[in-house]
Amino acid sequence: MQNHIAKFRKAAGLSQQELADAISVSRKTVSTVETSRFTPSVIIALKIALFFNTSVESLFSLDETD
Amino acid sequence: MNQDIKAEEKFMGQNAWFSIFMAVTLLIISVYPMLNKASTPLLVLGVSAFLGSFFMFVIRGGFTRKMKYHLTYKDEYLNTIDTIAYKHVVLALLITMGTVYLGSNDFALHITHSMMATFYLAVMCLAYGVSILWQNRD
Repeated sequence: MQNHIAKFRKAAGLSQQELADAISVSRKTVSTVETSRFTPSVIIALKIALFFNTSVESLFSLDETD
Repeated sequence: MNQDIKAEEKFMGQNAWFSIFMAVTLLIISVYPMLNKASTPLLVLGVSAFLGSFFMFVIRGGFTRKMKYHLTYKDEYLNTIDTIAYKHVVLALLITMGTVYLGSNDFALHITHSMMATFYLAVMCLAYGVSILWQNRD
């Protein structure tokens, strides 16, 4: 699964820690989700989407292998 | 909430290092009786290193009197890597026990049950610590 969280975060001028604090997760969660090492739960995906005022589909997209 | 998660992150990092220190100490303890020459300075050094790492863990781990014992982490990622680390512990233990089972007849007479138990504990601690550190990398 691919995601565009880093792009959204950088556009908002936020650090990983600031985004993590805003959605009440650890910085490691943000870091590993951004690098696609960790697939977050629906709750975290919705929290990120809500924070950036966008949809989950615009943040995450499926790979051919998914 | 954010403070809890930051405390959990800090705790997990300290916990991993403590597990590795504990594993090394237990490995020394399990091998120590096999040495024919008793070395008091080595034993004192080992005990001091273990107590030092333990107090460092307690002080730097961010423990407070209000902290309660939890089986899970609040943070999703930390909880996931903790669960995976326990799976690695079980795998490491199975592999070690299997290896000991296959080769134990050669050295069974020289090794006591307490030494083997300490050795298994050391392997478990080492697997947990290394797994957490490896998964917790950026």
